Amino acid sequence: MGRLVAHRLLATLPVLLLVTAGVFALLHLTPGDPIDAMMAESVDATAKEALRRELGLDRSIAVQYAAWMGRLLRGDLGRSIRTGEPVIENVSRRIRPSLQLALMAMTVSLLVAFPVALASAVRHNTAVDRAGTTFALFGICMPNFLLALLLIFLFGVTLRWLPISGYVDPLEEGWAGVRSLVLPAVTLGLALAAVITRTLRSSLLDALAEDYVRTARAKGLSEWIVIRGHVLRNALIPVVTVLGLQLGTLIGGAVITEYVFALPGVGRLVVDAVFARDYPLVQGVILLIAVGFLVSNLLVDIVYGWIDPRIRVR
Amino acid sequence: MAGSIRESAFADAAALSALPAVRDRRWDALRRAARARLAPFGAAVLFAAIVVALAAPLLAPYDPYAQDLSSTLSGPSRAHLLGTDNVGRDVLSRVMWGTRVSLIAGFASVAVAALAGGLLGVIAGYAGGRVDGLVMRVMDAVLSFPPLVLALALGAVLGAGLSGVVIALGVVYTPTFARLMRGQVLSVKTRDYVEAARALGSPAWRIARQHVLPNAATPIVVQASLSVAFAILAEASLSFLGLGVQPPAASWGSMINSGRGYLQQAPWIVFGPGAALFVTVVGLNFVGDAIRDGLDPRLTR
Repeated sequence: MGRLVAHRLLATLPVLLLVTAGVFALLHLTPGDPIDAMMAESVDATAKEALRRELGLDRSIAVQYAAWMGRLLRGDLGRSIRTGEPVIENVSRRIRPSLQLALMAMTVSLLVAFPVALASAVRHNTAVDRAGTTFALFGICMPNFLLALLLIFLFGVTLRWLPISGYVDPLEEGWAGVRSLVLPAVTLGLALAAVITRTLRSSLLDALAEDYVRTARAKGLSEWIVIRGHVLRNALIPVVTVLGLQLGTLIGGAVITEYVFALPGVGRLVVDAVFARDYPLVQGVILLIAVGFLVSNLLVDIVYGWIDPRIRVR
Repeated sequence: MAGSIRESAFADAAALSALPAVRDRRWDALRRAARARLAPFGAAVLFAAIVVALAAPLLAPYDPYAQDLSSTLSGPSRAHLLGTDNVGRDVLSRVMWGTRVSLIAGFASVAVAALAGGLLGVIAGYAGGRVDGLVMRVMDAVLSFPPLVLALALGAVLGAGLSGVVIALGVVYTPTFARLMRGQVLSVKTRDYVEAARALGSPAWRIARQHVLPNAATPIVVQASLSVAFAILAEASLSFLGLGVQPPAASWGSMINSGRGYLQQAPWIVFGPGAALFVTVVGLNFVGDAIRDGLDPRLTR
């Protein structure tokens, strides 16, 4: 197990280095002068020169990269050129809504996927099953932003049950905060629920056909105990696999969801920074997201090895 | 070889799918049965979309840019089948013109990715050693960004507009094709007929063209057909965020975004292009599945 972790960590390092090079190159790939893209034409030349010097754009590329890496290693991700605020502070302020959204979406997806997949598998080849699989197909093909607007139209505009935008912190305002996150969490959670349902249904069906399930039934255990104790546990491993592979899609979905519902999260920050052509901010946030993504993938890999010893031996 | 975590994630997924518990047999059987009926529907949708895209100037009842301020936000009627938007433009005509943008973005970005990825994969697989290591680590680096986030960042650099979107999405999808092609090259490279060709003195490029490419074509085509639906969704997402195709050009994503302020008074501005997008993506998924089943039954995901 320790070797597995060390091996994966080591393999990640060169990729991480390339990622930093790529993020650094972003600014230099810009056609034309990045300073002109960031500042209005009316800004006078001395201010532009000052920014150019501050960003180090007057030095050679190699020197700039070395300096940038040096600052990165000291935890300095640069400053937003609009607000002057350090990138790291900006992100840490916005990470809370994003994590809350992710957590609630995950809850929604599990609350939806487990009953649907269980019903589908237990009532295999019936109308219940067909409804379940149709739900999965639609959930996978439905664009995130369209689902968001459908939910807003139905629950926000027509029924007026839930707020359609804005963010209230559930940790401070309690119930009002939870309400403000319901529609975003359902938007993000349903797509994930569709993928989980599909995987879980088929792995449940496979587990239900195993000999040990017949044995368990034969010794007189109730169906619920058979499912809980023997079927469900064995059916869970593929779900972890799929969750790992879906992580990137989930982050992309969070960006769109935060945009539609005006949640002040990290995803919204990316979109705003790109809009404002605030390149240092874009660089910093993208780098942090990539690192977070790499680390999560690493964790998923380690979790596999932990749940299923068969994989470790490979 | 020390693989990246992504690579090993895929390897793990592959190892898992070899275990009986993960085999999607029943799901696959059900899907195959359903597909027999769904593939024609998918093909019909794709055909209709291509016809509409090509003939948009002839089919569209109105000029997609013509504003009619005397009939803004009017509901579906005989004059305007899908209603009009906030400046009185005909939604149906804009949906038709938007089909062009969606199909061009979907097919062109996948073509870019297949070409670039295929070329990189051939180079990596054929050269081996350090070149292989470098190329594939770069591909890993591209994969360590969530796809949409990378497309956003590249879009910021390349500038908004259809060509920027196509290049950005092309880059995002390149590693998938590079990996696929590299794997094919590695497996073909050791075959006897390639050894024979090399012994006869064929240059590398000729071996690649005559022996490797024909063998690798099938999985590339299958992957490409499945990727188009995702690329169309991605273009719509970028345009929805305002970072793809720019207004007033008609793109489904940007139409949906501009209509979201009028959900209450005029939901048809959102639902016209929304329905077009959803039906196209579902149809393309069916077509992609059918192509996969037809060309290579072994390739079940």
